Amino acid sequence: MTNEAIIQLKDIDVTFHNKGQTVEAVKKVSLTVNRGDIYGVVGYSGAGKSTLVRVINRLQRPTAGSVEVNGQNILNLSSRELRTARTKIGMIFQHFNLMASRTIADNVGYPLKGRLSHEDRKKKVAHLLDLVGLSEKATDYPAQLSGGQKQRVAIARALANDPEILISDEATSALDPKTTSSILALLKRLNKELGLTVVLITHEMEAVKEICNKVAVMEDGEIIERGDLVSIFSRPQKPLTQDFINTATQINQALEKIFRQAASLNLSESQQLVQLQYVGASTDAPLITELYKRYNVVSNILYGNVEILQDTPLGNLIVVMSGDPDKLVAAWQYCQDAGIQITHLNPNDSEVA
Amino acid sequence: MSLLAKYFPNAVTMKGDFLQATGETLYMTAITAIVAGIIGMAIGIGLIVTQPGGILENRVIYNILDKIVNLCRSIPFVILLAVIAPLTRIIVGTAIGTTAAIVPLVIGSAPFYARQIQNALAEVDRGVIEAAESVGSGPIAIIFRVYLKEGLADIIRSSVLTLISLIDLTAMAGAIGGGGLGNLAINVGYSRFETDVTVMAMLIILVIVFAIQLIGDLLARHVDHTA
Repeated sequence: MTNEAIIQLKDIDVTFHNKGQTVEAVKKVSLTVNRGDIYGVVGYSGAGKSTLVRVINRLQRPTAGSVEVNGQNILNLSSRELRTARTKIGMIFQHFNLMASRTIADNVGYPLKGRLSHEDRKKKVAHLLDLVGLSEKATDYPAQLSGGQKQRVAIARALANDPEILISDEATSALDPKTTSSILALLKRLNKELGLTVVLITHEMEAVKEICNKVAVMEDGEIIERGDLVSIFSRPQKPLTQDFINTATQINQALEKIFRQAASLNLSESQQLVQLQYVGASTDAPLITELYKRYNVVSNILYGNVEILQDTPLGNLIVVMSGDPDKLVAAWQYCQDAGIQITHLNPNDSEVA
Repeated sequence: MSLLAKYFPNAVTMKGDFLQATGETLYMTAITAIVAGIIGMAIGIGLIVTQPGGILENRVIYNILDKIVNLCRSIPFVILLAVIAPLTRIIVGTAIGTTAAIVPLVIGSAPFYARQIQNALAEVDRGVIEAAESVGSGPIAIIFRVYLKEGLADIIRSSVLTLISLIDLTAMAGAIGGGGLGNLAINVGYSRFETDVTVMAMLIILVIVFAIQLIGDLLARHVDHTA
């Protein structure tokens, strides 16, 4: 991963006027994507993330701001120059957008017509289909394929012009979880093998978690938080980001269950429900044993989860700690000194973190 | 043959007339289909690409085309025949006869076809157009390699519809001097109370219509890969 910026969006505004109504879809957004990044843009539908990335290949012209891709000012290009620039920016879509009247091979070869000879085109299409693992479907039509296969065809088509950037606009949102994982794995592989820079728009933090190295969270047309994946996941600043992460790590569901149960747990004075969060190396320390040995504090694990993000483990534990009140305080101090984040949970407070 | 003579006593004696009339109807239909097909296709594509949100959005051109199509489609064909007779005289030299009938037939059917083409192309998924734009396709490539290719099955179905309504119009044009089966049915069959001639003309038209429908359906099914 280099630090060379391949996409630079500066102060992008996109405003739509529709039947007398003005909608500010994107407000003063700046975004820099480096070569080799897999940059996730997360947000609920209507947050403006699709509009924002469509500015990159000028499928959407911004109302204000500047767009630089590969050192080229995209907004100043003539339509002919824009078409050439677009060949270096592949794009895949939620609904695949394949041509129903063409075979798989013809769909993949579509961008190459007039650019390569018939023979070279055939070779290239065969290579691309091999790359996405669909060689045997070359003569089929899109209607005969499953959703995941269609998206693979769309990826092959997007790669036909050897782009340096691939924009994925909710490309996995119409797919089941297993297929989603396989498509994400393919994107990751293309990123590694071809050095492809990927901009991944999604409303699912799970997708970001699996492959992105950086993430931006969008709300109401603005990027409210951004950073590298591990720091966003370990120390989210905004409630919306926290919400996305909790959904992705399924902590929300766990907390809900635990809180429902907690009432029946009847926690006494000497018991405390806490959430422990740890990043990286601290995962390896035998924490629970240490707490017992040092402070005689017993930890009952109600929920545990470890995510591996960018090769960095990120752990979450929800435990009931029991012990003398002063020993408990000492135990928490010990955890904090070991770089573990502690959140005290109150089962009677129905507001889930 | 005797059965034919029994039920179509007048028609059997007019074999030559029927052959000629059928030829004239097919001639009017074919020439009009080619001319109106090209004009209608061009206007239909023009409407689709210049419409709001189209790939060559242009409010002025869209409105002009839209108004022309609406205007031409509002005039009843029988009246159109009479109204444009002077124009026909300028183009063809005469306002009577099979060739002269082609002028009002084109004006009557091209706007209808344009609307049909517009509707057929509107069915092409906007996302597919966007995908083509994203790989660097220009307007010409999108028209010929996406719109016309993706919309082909619907274009064929619309063409069949237009052809059948065109045969309907040729019969009307025939009745006021254009020749063809319409002329035979009205000016011979109806005026001379030779009902069997009218029925025979109608049957031949039905056969032509069914043949067009059948061929069109087969073609459309052949190019349709959506299911």
